[in-house]
Amino acid sequence: MNKKAGPLFYIFLVIFVFLVMFPFIWVFLTSIKPPSEIFGDKAFAWFTDSPTLKSYASVFFDHPFLIYLKNSFIVSTATTVYTVFVASFAAYAIARLQFRGKAVILGLVLSVSMFPQIATLSPIYIILKNIGLTNSYLGLIIPYTTITLPLSIWILVVFFRKIPHDLEEAAKIDGATLMQTYWKIIFPLAVPGMFTTAILVFIAAWNEFLYAFVINTEVAYKTVPVGIAMFQGQYTIPWGEISAATVVVTIPLVILVLVFQKRIVSGLTSGSVKE
Amino acid sequence: MGDKEKKKQVKKDKNPDRKAAYLLIAPSLLLILVIAIYPVIQSFYFSLFDLRLNSPTKSSVHLDYSINLDTYLQYYPFLVDDLDSTIEDTSGPVKEGLTDVKEDLESLDQNIQEDTGKTYEEVNNILNNFETPSSELAMVDITNETADQFEETIKEINTALTQLKGTDEIENFSEIQGLASGLQGAIIEPNFIGFQHYQNQLTDPRMWSSLWTTVYFTIISVAIEFVLGLAIALLINKAFFGRGLIRATVLIPWAIPTAVSAMMWKFLYDGQNGIVSKFFMELGIIDSMSTLLSTNFGAMSSVILSEVWKTTPYIALLLLAGLQVIPKSLYEAASIDGAGKWKQFIHITMPMLRLSILVAVLFRTLDAFRVFDLIYVLTGGGPANSTETISILAYKVMFAQTNFGAGSALAVIVFICVAIISMIFVKVLGSDLLPENQGK
Repeated sequence: MNKKAGPLFYIFLVIFVFLVMFPFIWVFLTSIKPPSEIFGDKAFAWFTDSPTLKSYASVFFDHPFLIYLKNSFIVSTATTVYTVFVASFAAYAIARLQFRGKAVILGLVLSVSMFPQIATLSPIYIILKNIGLTNSYLGLIIPYTTITLPLSIWILVVFFRKIPHDLEEAAKIDGATLMQTYWKIIFPLAVPGMFTTAILVFIAAWNEFLYAFVINTEVAYKTVPVGIAMFQGQYTIPWGEISAATVVVTIPLVILVLVFQKRIVSGLTSGSVKE
Repeated sequence: MGDKEKKKQVKKDKNPDRKAAYLLIAPSLLLILVIAIYPVIQSFYFSLFDLRLNSPTKSSVHLDYSINLDTYLQYYPFLVDDLDSTIEDTSGPVKEGLTDVKEDLESLDQNIQEDTGKTYEEVNNILNNFETPSSELAMVDITNETADQFEETIKEINTALTQLKGTDEIENFSEIQGLASGLQGAIIEPNFIGFQHYQNQLTDPRMWSSLWTTVYFTIISVAIEFVLGLAIALLINKAFFGRGLIRATVLIPWAIPTAVSAMMWKFLYDGQNGIVSKFFMELGIIDSMSTLLSTNFGAMSSVILSEVWKTTPYIALLLLAGLQVIPKSLYEAASIDGAGKWKQFIHITMPMLRLSILVAVLFRTLDAFRVFDLIYVLTGGGPANSTETISILAYKVMFAQTNFGAGSALAVIVFICVAIISMIFVKVLGSDLLPENQGK
């Protein structure tokens, strides 16, 4: 459908973008207001006359926000690296090799990705508690596998299937072993797909709330979503600090999305479109 | 037989990769089994027990009677000593009665030693060194007969003591009584209760109200998201300037953590400082600014609005991807045949989009049904449990009431609901869902 876009269309777009972005805009404007203007009459003014970074300073100096950032970063990175690594082998086998039970395995992967987290929560919590892994990085990396592994396998299978067969067959004829074929031929071609998968896995791990909330309750191991959600002031909810913290975690994600939007969309929609 | 073997041989030769394939899949499969499938089974198992994390006797599953040797050995020797010294001081029927009690107690101890074997000695040695044995070591299963004998002996001691209460003959009466009741605490009854939790939950109005809340939330938000998402996808499915910007715009709400967006909306809905509350009040949609988060309907609508804001982009993107692979020739042919825009939409767009729509709606439905963080952070399930979904209820029962058994039963109910929803969709989608059958 290559219709030309008229001016009405652009007006619609501007309104649409404004509505979607409004919460961020408002939160950003709040984050630079001095504390006295966040509450009361001035709370509804768009712009403050005396913008300040006090809320940001408070987030970093009065609250353990840097620790939360560090924890989230470590947990998400480790989860991403290990899941994509493990999933890539399974996805390669499913996409390329012939073996019995493939449909069953794919069905299993798909079902697991639909598991409600709450259904695995109590045993995972008890096991981790018994082996002393609550309040640790591993305590989150391990359960995150339930979410990220099926997701990675699913996306990677679709990517592997798109790699042309010819190269592999040529390698086989030349006498390359399966592993050689994988590392020398498939892997380099699959790097973009793996990268896309990695972005999605990273976002999924970064955003996870329930396990993080239940398993890591100590400040030293809390992640960003739990940290922000549990931000408590002494008397009132500290909206200024919460806004500043929200801006701080949103900016990297906005950059990530701007840079990798095509990849993210291709990863999100893989498997849902017949091509 | 020979034929069969040959066939197998041929198959094997044809497929030298099979072994490699299983090897490559093994790590993923193992992880999925251990970290996803096993916990679900374990959840079901927990749900059959009266499991309470903060109660010392119910903090783990006990199919059989067991005894805490730590407790037992802290009371048993002293009880026997006390009885001994009392027996020496008394005479007549009292002495006889107490001697009987003591003999019974010693025969019980014999049986316990038999049931628990070496552990008995081990725990005893640890206690003699004034150390504390680990709870795994001290907890030992005993036979039902020993457990019965245990209960009976304790009963006997208590009856004997009550009979003697009137007489002044026993000096350390209260001490013996205290030791006997301490000894009683050493036995741990099995906490297997079968489907009792399910029976309780299925007759609990709070469970049904949370299930209804979940269904209501899921249906309304997915319906709105679908209509809006489809509209957006149709509108932006054309070449225009700034396409990348739009794509990034719709991705941002999807990309930020749900808990963070919930916190953001909580601020916007705030009864005193919330701009959205203020705006809605000025529009006349609500009476006062506090309506949004403090009334049942207001809170539910607020939660749905936030959910729609966060996930409509996801649906729009999935549908847009589906729209982009519909061949343009179909529309050209249709317009040559004189079909209008609406007819084209009904007869070309919708059927061609079928798979994308089903996949998008399936994933969104399952996600919405499992909702936890958005509502937990935004309203905590309130006001008056009006936004309490079943996942939130399960969480509260597990961790606020520390009732892991009942909470696990609720978790299993969520799991069954999700499984039913998936099965309905898979039935409709058929094998289209597997990438195996795509691209054909």
